[in-house]
Amino acid sequence: MASLLVLIPLFAVIVMNLPLKGMRELSFPAALLLIIAQTGLAFMMPPSFWNMAPPSGIGSNFSLNFTVDALGVVMLISIGLVSFAAIISGWRTIGGTDQTQKADFASILLLCIAGMNGIVMVNDLFSLYVFLEIVAVASFVLISFHRDIWALEGAFKYIIMSAVATIMMLASIGLLLMLAGDTSFATVAAALKSSDRNFLMVLAVGLFTVGLFIKGGLVPFHGWLPDAYSTAPSGVSVLLAGIVTKTTGVYTLIRLVTSVFGFTESVMSILLAVGLISIVVGALAALGQKDFKRMLAYSSISQVGYIILGLGAGNAYGVMGAVFHLFNHSIFKSQLFINSAAVEEQTGTRDMDKLGGLGSKMPVTSTTSLIALLSTVGIPPFSGFWSKLIIIIALWQSANYFSALVAVVASVITLAYFLSMQRRVFFGKLRAGLENITEAKLGNLVPAIILALITIAVGVCFPYILEKFILPIKDIIPLVIKN
Amino acid sequence: MNNNTLILLAIFIPLLGSLILPLLGCISCRMRNLAALIMVLTSLVCATLMMPSVLAGEHSKITLIFPLGFNFVLVADMLSIFMAIVSSLTGAIIVFYSFDYISHYENQNEYYLMVVMFLGSMMGIIFSANLILLYVFWELTALTSWRLIGFFREKNHVLKADKSFLVTVFGAVVMLVGFVMIYQQTGSFDYDVIKEKLTATNPLSSIAVIFILFGILSKSATLPLHTWLPDAGVAPSPVTALLHAAVLVKIGVYVYARLFISTFTVDEVWHTIIPFIAAVSALVSAGAALIETDMKRIIAYSTVSQIAFIFLGLAVGGELAITGGLLYILMHGLAKGGLFLCAGIVEQNTKVKDITKLGGLIHTMPVTAISFLLCAFSVMGIPPFGGFFSKYMVITGAVGSGQLFIAFTFIFGAFLTLIYLFRLFTMIFMGEVKTPSKGENSPIMLTSVAMLAVLSLISGLYINYIAGPVQNTAQQMLGMIK
Repeated sequence: MASLLVLIPLFAVIVMNLPLKGMRELSFPAALLLIIAQTGLAFMMPPSFWNMAPPSGIGSNFSLNFTVDALGVVMLISIGLVSFAAIISGWRTIGGTDQTQKADFASILLLCIAGMNGIVMVNDLFSLYVFLEIVAVASFVLISFHRDIWALEGAFKYIIMSAVATIMMLASIGLLLMLAGDTSFATVAAALKSSDRNFLMVLAVGLFTVGLFIKGGLVPFHGWLPDAYSTAPSGVSVLLAGIVTKTTGVYTLIRLVTSVFGFTESVMSILLAVGLISIVVGALAALGQKDFKRMLAYSSISQVGYIILGLGAGNAYGVMGAVFHLFNHSIFKSQLFINSAAVEEQTGTRDMDKLGGLGSKMPVTSTTSLIALLSTVGIPPFSGFWSKLIIIIALWQSANYFSALVAVVASVITLAYFLSMQRRVFFGKLRAGLENITEAKLGNLVPAIILALITIAVGVCFPYILEKFILPIKDIIPLVIKN
Repeated sequence: MNNNTLILLAIFIPLLGSLILPLLGCISCRMRNLAALIMVLTSLVCATLMMPSVLAGEHSKITLIFPLGFNFVLVADMLSIFMAIVSSLTGAIIVFYSFDYISHYENQNEYYLMVVMFLGSMMGIIFSANLILLYVFWELTALTSWRLIGFFREKNHVLKADKSFLVTVFGAVVMLVGFVMIYQQTGSFDYDVIKEKLTATNPLSSIAVIFILFGILSKSATLPLHTWLPDAGVAPSPVTALLHAAVLVKIGVYVYARLFISTFTVDEVWHTIIPFIAAVSALVSAGAALIETDMKRIIAYSTVSQIAFIFLGLAVGGELAITGGLLYILMHGLAKGGLFLCAGIVEQNTKVKDITKLGGLIHTMPVTAISFLLCAFSVMGIPPFGGFFSKYMVITGAVGSGQLFIAFTFIFGAFLTLIYLFRLFTMIFMGEVKTPSKGENSPIMLTSVAMLAVLSLISGLYINYIAGPVQNTAQQMLGMIK
């Protein structure tokens, strides 16, 4: 069944672009329907459902080697939820009144989703690379969708950085193919295990990891990220920040470290170092931002740092915490980007110094953004608290005391910049000139409310979520720490 | 109803009920106000109903096992019942007072939502018997008080609200690291298991003690993490009363009593260090209270100073000192709540907070003045007010444990209390009139402060009836009785 997650969106893209009457108007609802179906199925069905053979005739002709495990399920749900938010929020604004543009957006979005689904399910490095490229190309187009100058600049930076990452990963795949004789995860993992620190092997692993750091926008490879996030059309920045970089960079890293590279000392220390630097640099940079979206972008870097830090702890708790935080982050960060889009749409500016007191005019936006930011900081009972807690327990158990303390103190910096955001935009007295502002449009309200409810529900019903989705993840960690 | 149901009602009626208050507020303000009061009273009634059976030695416990040790465990014993009664009693009076006080301002729905939710989470803190559960409620109180301090939306207020939120969250996350260390050492977050695993030969590691103390001191506004509390005085008056006097700062004290006395085994040296920190805190903040001119800030600094007395009682150990410390929580809650609410009345009538611009108000506001004086007597520790007995027991306990120097420091601190409270009273109510006031015009607010003043006096006159159960509590905490 798993291959259908890639094939159906691709098929839908082809059908949507047939020159038939009324097809363009249908493309948005059709894409929405597919996204809802994916989210619902991924949430309800166990991994074994996806690993069944597809019904004969549809997918059986494509012998793609896909598997879905507990980690994959969490990712499929996140992809579905964030794309849902992105498409609803972009429905009205993307492409203005031009139906062709809207249909193009829906097509490219579906392509992007197909690519991400592929990344989540593949079993060998080369297919992984192919899907990474599909997603990357789709996102270049999405970022520059409105062709304004700043968006083109953002997309251009992303292309260049992405190309560098691509070259590194491709070189690494070449080396691994040469040394292991195959690119499937299992073979490469076995070859790495038996190689005993062959120089080329280390080089290959290093190149691939750095490539993924670039894709994930981790410090010091984060230069492209704030520009790309802040210049993209609002629906796209939701998608980009919420899930694209998380799937292409962070998820891939989690998958490769757990099933291919293994938790060697050197990998772990690199992850810890990069994670810590990202947390601190991202948070400090966010403190100094005036632009709403850029602050969120830096905050994103900082939060991804937590995910990487959890992974770097190198134990089952760490991986569980990392994946849980990845999921939570995709929810609350999409939420915040939607709120920023709503504020920008209603007031015409993202400059926080020109805003103030919007809480009385836009109560729903203000409340949902408060929920999302508290979750980001890790204040219970919101979802982000539990994932951060698990990460900190993991760090303590793996004796990384210093990292745990830095992670904890950085969450106070996170609180500081978000409080300053909330204060400048929503709280306080209404700034002159903003008297006629009204609450955000439905397109932004609906996803904002849904995501806020998810944040609360995950936080309150954490035993259920942990039991059903997060704890099974520890079974996918076959490699124990090499000493 | 059995005790388990009562515990759940005491926590979740205010905690979840608060969420419907804004909806009620859209229909009718009176209904909302009444509902808020009923919710808080529910906690009080539930706690009182549990008292007889718990006094008779019944232990009620609710346990739900969740993954990774994040269990849901609630326990009712003497200590939790005592704290629940104290905080819901003061809470109820404060909610009653705000019927009038807050009716002059905007955003009332938000106010009642936050206050009732705050009291609900306070109940959660009191009854929880799992560190993570405790932390969840702990942060909920931080969250709600953050919104309450920034209630008036002035730029300055919102900044100070953010400051207090940052300080308490910083303390809390450091404390969380301490909790994780305990988990590392004992493999559990449950109080019961921790208590078994930590023994005299295997005490809690000192670093964990420091981390947890850091959180507690930040919440209870003890030196060096006290600066947020005077700043929080920008909040509406019932809120400051609620925050400072009755509930918020007591959270730190309660958690100290719960964790360090009833649950953890810590190194002996802490029984000297903590009284020392408390002594410094008592003196420095008393000094600050002497020179401040903003009346709410004076009372706030006085709170910092009085909290140190509670810490002293709890930290030196021994039955008498702990009984004194617990009594102090009650007496200080009543009296200091009264002082803040009186200050609120003065502020609302004159629109002035600076005591150098006030004077002679006793002529126009006699009830407020007398209530203020009675509450001040209790805080100073003048017999036969309740505050006298608690202060006496704490200091006697400290002398009994041999810490003479510390005890003298605190007697000096008590002397300073006398001076700054008399100064405050004289400047506001005596002398010539500098700012005219509209006179007493709000029966609800006057009833509340008079009630607190009378309670302070009665609790002293009938100290026998109160000290008995409290002594029981102290014995139970020390493990002398089951």
